[in-house]
Amino acid sequence: MAFNVTRRKFLQTASLAAVSIPLSKVVCAETGVTKASLEPKGTMHDTTVVGGLCEMCFWRCQMVGRVRDGQLIKLEGNPKSIDNGTSICARGNAGIKLLYDVDRLKYPLKNVGKRGEPVWKRISWQEALDECGSKLKAVVDQHGPQGICVFPHGASAKYPMHYFERTVGTHNVSEASFFQCRGVRDTAYMASINEAPEEFVDMANAKVIFLVGCHFGENIHVSHTKNYIKGLQNGAKLIVADPRYSASAAKSDIWVQIKPGTDTAYLLAIMNYLVKNKKYNQEFVTNHTAGFDKFSQSIAEWTLDKAAQECEIPAAQIKEVADLLAANAPNVTIHPGRFSSWHGNDFQRGRALACLTALLGAYYVKGGWLPPKRPKLNKTSWAAAEHGNEHNLNYSGDKMQHPYSPPGTPTELIRDCAISGKPYPIKGCVVWGQNPMQTIPNQEKMKQVFKAMDFVMCVDVMPTDVTMWADILLPEASYLERFDEIKVGAAYAKAGDTEPTQYIAPRYPMVEPQFERKDQVYITNEIAKRMGHEQDIPVQTLEELVNKTLEVSKTTLASIKAEGGIHLQPGKPAGTVPEDFMVLLFSDEIAAAGFPGAPTYIPVENVPAGHARLLFGRAPVHSFSRTQNNIWLHHAMPVNPVWLNDEVAAKLGLKEGDTVGLVNSEGVKSRTTTIVKVTPGIRKDCVYMYHGYGMVNPMLTIGSGQGVDEQSLITKIAIDPESGVHGMRNNFVKLTRDGKTLDMPA
Amino acid sequence: MPPMSETSTPQDLSFFYGFLARCMQYPDPQWMNEEFFQAFFSLVDTLGATVEGKEIRDALKHSPDPMEALQIEYTRLFINGAPHVVAPPYASVYMDKSLQGAFALKTLSFYREKGYVMEKDADLPDHLIHELEFLSLLARDNDLAGEEEFLTTLFRPWYQQFCPRVGQETRHPYYRMVVNLIDFFTSEEKKDGFQCNEA
Repeated sequence: MAFNVTRRKFLQTASLAAVSIPLSKVVCAETGVTKASLEPKGTMHDTTVVGGLCEMCFWRCQMVGRVRDGQLIKLEGNPKSIDNGTSICARGNAGIKLLYDVDRLKYPLKNVGKRGEPVWKRISWQEALDECGSKLKAVVDQHGPQGICVFPHGASAKYPMHYFERTVGTHNVSEASFFQCRGVRDTAYMASINEAPEEFVDMANAKVIFLVGCHFGENIHVSHTKNYIKGLQNGAKLIVADPRYSASAAKSDIWVQIKPGTDTAYLLAIMNYLVKNKKYNQEFVTNHTAGFDKFSQSIAEWTLDKAAQECEIPAAQIKEVADLLAANAPNVTIHPGRFSSWHGNDFQRGRALACLTALLGAYYVKGGWLPPKRPKLNKTSWAAAEHGNEHNLNYSGDKMQHPYSPPGTPTELIRDCAISGKPYPIKGCVVWGQNPMQTIPNQEKMKQVFKAMDFVMCVDVMPTDVTMWADILLPEASYLERFDEIKVGAAYAKAGDTEPTQYIAPRYPMVEPQFERKDQVYITNEIAKRMGHEQDIPVQTLEELVNKTLEVSKTTLASIKAEGGIHLQPGKPAGTVPEDFMVLLFSDEIAAAGFPGAPTYIPVENVPAGHARLLFGRAPVHSFSRTQNNIWLHHAMPVNPVWLNDEVAAKLGLKEGDTVGLVNSEGVKSRTTTIVKVTPGIRKDCVYMYHGYGMVNPMLTIGSGQGVDEQSLITKIAIDPESGVHGMRNNFVKLTRDGKTLDMPA
Repeated sequence: MPPMSETSTPQDLSFFYGFLARCMQYPDPQWMNEEFFQAFFSLVDTLGATVEGKEIRDALKHSPDPMEALQIEYTRLFINGAPHVVAPPYASVYMDKSLQGAFALKTLSFYREKGYVMEKDADLPDHLIHELEFLSLLARDNDLAGEEEFLTTLFRPWYQQFCPRVGQETRHPYYRMVVNLIDFFTSEEKKDGFQCNEA
């Protein structure tokens, strides 16, 4: 660009005033920089802020923050914590880089382009809320509340989810944490022991820890990992069933390199062996189980040899594991797992784990399943309301398709309805903190859902892949900038304690929200006002929500803050088995619903010739796609290598670090490539990848296109019949290199 | 930084910085009105950038909704753009590869040393607008040494990365002109070797 004068000459011109006077009239009178008293050089304004509650994953470690001049410069474990203590993981530390991520959403945005190919324009909150409120109200007016579907995730999504579910009245809510993660585990245990198991296993005091698929070390939740490590330090034997030599398998005494999908057959054989050889806890079975005879008959076919053949493992090893468990019962941890949406036969695996725990008498004992007695809190939210089942997609008349569904409606039912318009139209979509493009299998189908909508709104902290499909995109305050949920628990505060201590740890903001980010109570209430529900609003602020929730504990945000961000109080011993505690080894109710009453193995599709089964799991420094744009975590693990058996690699002519793509059995190719990790530590018929990589949205300037999005290759949909939860490990792939597709050797 | 001449006053330069800060605000008809554009084109014409001035006038004239076109471009360039934000207007992004990094703290510290702080509702201290506002205040205070130190140590190091990004990637000639005007008013002369607006 050419200006015909230099700066110096310009400032020397006599006509300068003639130019500057018109400028002076349009200069903004108010500035962001303002006069204040002078301060000496080096003044830092350092403070320590208590009450942080991490949300880089779901575990909620308690933290303190070091703040300098309003800027959060370091996160640490809260010294007062009896849960994670002063430790936080790599992700917890890197929360700062989420907070100050350049790509974070800052202002409400309106898509003036197409869904999926957005052109963004910054708009005011007033305009954004008016549009969300009016568009969603129009959907309800025209199609009824069932015309709205909601995909929520995370602490901040609970309040809006309750609004749409309870007050607006739609059943069409699908949480990824249930329908693509742990929901089937929870409902399997609910149907077996009448409680969700969470991760209430006393590994620190276990004599044997039995993990089916859990890969601690790669899957890190600080206090849980500490509990696990303490158990190993105390001499616990570790059994790991996993087709891959995981971080846990590497520490195991027995590694069971099981064929994927056959875990239930394996568990049935262990249980059958225990029953046949009377190595089960007869007292516990007599007093606290039901249906033992029918159960025993049902699993009788599962001999060691039959399971060995099905699971492709030695019969002697199954016996060795069963004997080890029996010899150390009841102080054994049968870990219920967490992510359990594996093969579409997962309800039965969950039932089998619950029943095995019962045969070993490992409920309410040291080293076994031992739920803590936690402090009670109020449940403050939108008032519950009954909306009938007429528009509940999980019902056909009075009968439920998936009677053991987690709360909400199975995702596939919502998607099919949205795309087909049958039995009714779904035309409004609210996505809150979830990234359905990378949590729900079959991305093309998800796109069809968004295309079928009249209106899509997304609320998030980052421009994740799903946000490309929004009409209105709202920027949310992150977990470091808002009050929020409360973590409660009980633990032994220090070595030698005989009684546990209870803790209550609400979330406090570490710093003020920047730009125009708002919290969930503000956003939801403003939308509710515009949809005609102002009179139903339960709280005016997030602070009020937390304080009301705390009321029963006789604490407040102010009182807990004065205590260092965590309230401690004397706890109650976990105790012995409650008299009425029952494990349904055979469930008449499940049988009456048309499903197997005793845990039953349902075989899954075998790997077709020339392919490998695609397995995936957690990376230690990432929480799936949520952390892909975090610069520190990206540097720690920038791509997700594909694990390939060394003998297979040799036959394919591949070596460590070679670049490959993937194509699945339905012809879907990975958009990007990754590198090969050659290892003897994986079965020949499988490949394995860390989940969450290869995001599409180029607005994520660090994470976009890094590694391979294995979710894009999960196009075959399996549905667990009892729960309606997705199974996502039934897809098969080949590798590609230099434009050629490589057949996997048999 | 050259000394002020006998013809320019500190107040004049303060207005220039203040005007440039205004140009970088999110387009809004409340302030981006006829009076604003008159002042804008008056400056552009005085500097002899007639070709570029015409290009901007044409872009505004031929757009079905010139205000929305500028808003979309502002969002794409500076806030959250697709495929990705072109040039976040924060020093730390270029110096620390992060928002609100150590460079932002240094900037705030410099403000404090000169007796200025950030308003509660302001953007981050190292936002281009606030840095221009601060320069405007220094000019008004006739603190030439402070102005020079700020430009040399805290402004130019990142602005010379920011300016070409916008200049090359913007789809609207208005923003190309704005970043070049800022460059013009904040650059040292040739002897320092980094003025990209050679006259």
